[in-house]
Amino acid sequence: MKSLSDRVVARLQADMQIPDLSGTRYNLLRYVACGGMGSVWLAEDTVLKRRVALKVLDLAGPADDLDVRLLSEARILASLEHPGMVPVHDAGTLADGRAFCCMKYVEGQTLAQHIATLNLPDRLRLLERIAEPLDFAHARGFIHRDLKPDNVMIGAFGEVLVMDWGLAKVGVTSLEAGETEIATAVQPTQNSLRVTGQGSVLGTRGYMSPEQARGDIEVDQRTDIFSLGAILTFMLTGSAPGELPAASGSVPRPLRAICEKAMAADPNARYQSARGMTADITHYLNGEPVSAYPEGLLERSGRVFTRHRTAVVLVAVYLTMRVLFILFGRR
Amino acid sequence: MNKVFLGLLLGAILGAIDGLTAWFTPEARAEIAGIVIGSTIKGIIAGILIGVFARKVHSLALGIVFGLGVGLLLAFIVAQMQHGYYFQIMLPGGMVGLIVGYATQRYGRGPKLQQT
Amino acid sequence: MTRHSLVLAAQSNDPATRSRAIEAIAAAYWRPVYKYVRMKWNIAPEDAADFTQEFFSRLLEKEFLDSYESSKGRLRTFLRTCADRLFMNQARDSKRLKRGVGSTHLSLDFMEAEQELATELRSGSPEDSFDKEWVRSIFVLGLARLQASCESRGKLIHFELFERYDLEDDDPKPSYAQLATEFGLATTDVTNYLAFARREFRRCVLDQLREMTTSEEEFRREAQALLGVKVT
Repeated sequence: MKSLSDRVVARLQADMQIPDLSGTRYNLLRYVACGGMGSVWLAEDTVLKRRVALKVLDLAGPADDLDVRLLSEARILASLEHPGMVPVHDAGTLADGRAFCCMKYVEGQTLAQHIATLNLPDRLRLLERIAEPLDFAHARGFIHRDLKPDNVMIGAFGEVLVMDWGLAKVGVTSLEAGETEIATAVQPTQNSLRVTGQGSVLGTRGYMSPEQARGDIEVDQRTDIFSLGAILTFMLTGSAPGELPAASGSVPRPLRAICEKAMAADPNARYQSARGMTADITHYLNGEPVSAYPEGLLERSGRVFTRHRTAVVLVAVYLTMRVLFILFGRR
Repeated sequence: MNKVFLGLLLGAILGAIDGLTAWFTPEARAEIAGIVIGSTIKGIIAGILIGVFARKVHSLALGIVFGLGVGLLLAFIVAQMQHGYYFQIMLPGGMVGLIVGYATQRYGRGPKLQQT
Repeated sequence: MTRHSLVLAAQSNDPATRSRAIEAIAAAYWRPVYKYVRMKWNIAPEDAADFTQEFFSRLLEKEFLDSYESSKGRLRTFLRTCADRLFMNQARDSKRLKRGVGSTHLSLDFMEAEQELATELRSGSPEDSFDKEWVRSIFVLGLARLQASCESRGKLIHFELFERYDLEDDDPKPSYAQLATEFGLATTDVTNYLAFARREFRRCVLDQLREMTTSEEEFRREAQALLGVKVT
């Protein structure tokens, strides 16, 4: 057997990733990206004549944990119908043994791309929309567990979609036996993939709550609240989450307080629901007091003045005019 | 608080303030009670009219213009009765109307939507 | 279920089992070892060839593999580290990099490896080169399996098409229609045969890899590296 050139090796590597769609109703169009558990491909549904996204595991295997996870994601998405969640059309196993899931192909921008041109109020409103499908899922007992900017897409019509529910779990349940897998954050390159291996924790570092990072037996929806706070931090600072910079004067204190409360190390100290967090954001946008931020008298006055600036100015002008009339009116 | 009541309240307060400033005019001090009552009633009437307008028309610009107009008109009537001091009466009166017009558009609860 | 693993067989006390397993492991690793020591230590081709023989001889004598545990790391990282250690020990002891008298001699085409080294674009570290060669070796072994599988099933034409289209370095590549003419087939047959061959190639490569790992977890890690999936 002759040796293989580097180019041929690279081509064979790429060929090996191509899913075998024989026996399915799909025609492969092109590679899209790495997904949570494998790769995502653009395909054509030959029956309905529409483009779809196929999420395909890289590997097959007996009683495969990733197979179970992919199927779980498909079932969760199928049971949760919400405008903010990508509809799933189909799931199964390919001829080469790899599990796949067929869902709506979303054309649009990632969160990072979209917020580049947004002002602060628009970013905050966007976060409210990100929280909607989360709140919906939480109300039905599901936790996402891998919320991060890469998993938020803004579609062509401005719809906000929370993607990649591959690590989602049902309610406040314990991690199943053997489910101690690490997911390390990956470079968002074409060939990057979140890897799971025994002995680690599910989620993505940086956006993962402390209890999830520790591999705690019980995680609940508040782990998603932590991630939502991390996303808000990202949207406010433009950089990966961590502590907000000490001298980040560009981030208003009430918003910083919202982030800190959402990302509190103790789940009991966080917002207990996505709705609670977005309520504070709405209050901030409306110039109302934010529950996470106890303001002083001066700050409160300033906020009231800012909110009712025009009315205050008008009344001040009126009273000033009145005083002037009193002082100079008889001259 | 609905818009009409807001207009009434604001008109009354500003009208009362208007009347009270007459105390600084020695000639008018003797009739201060009547001036305050009259000014307050003028404010209430203006406030109600402007509040009703705000319930019907949801436009900040139009609300302000309407308020200014009502304030100026009522102030003009008072000035006519005083046979003078047009500027000193109409300017504050117009301002009161403007403020009430802004406030009733910006604040206050509008009418409930009719269920069909 | 007992996992058939070359590594486990190479740790066997039975000399025959061990020998067969080491030969199979050497088939996957001799090129990476040879090119690695040539690049890293800049030694002459003859010395690198002798070193490679000595290395696998020591492997056969259980010197290295006894201490290998898959839970602690990948086999290829382990072998590379062993190669480094052996080289440094020999250099420290001022021994000539020659294989010992009476040690096992594997039939390896070092001249071909040296020619490849001469023509390859050297980019990246010697460690990267080791990994790249490992991928190349696994693919070559997978291809051998594929060819044997196709021959046994009377599908040699499938393999030949695959060889013609996917293994040639042509630029531009021939079209399916051209291949159909060349092989006297319908174009749809070319599509189907290539799809079959690629599917089988993937299976053969992954089967080969599975034999070279000792656990499912190790297999997954190595498979993702083989597929070119980058993990940080």
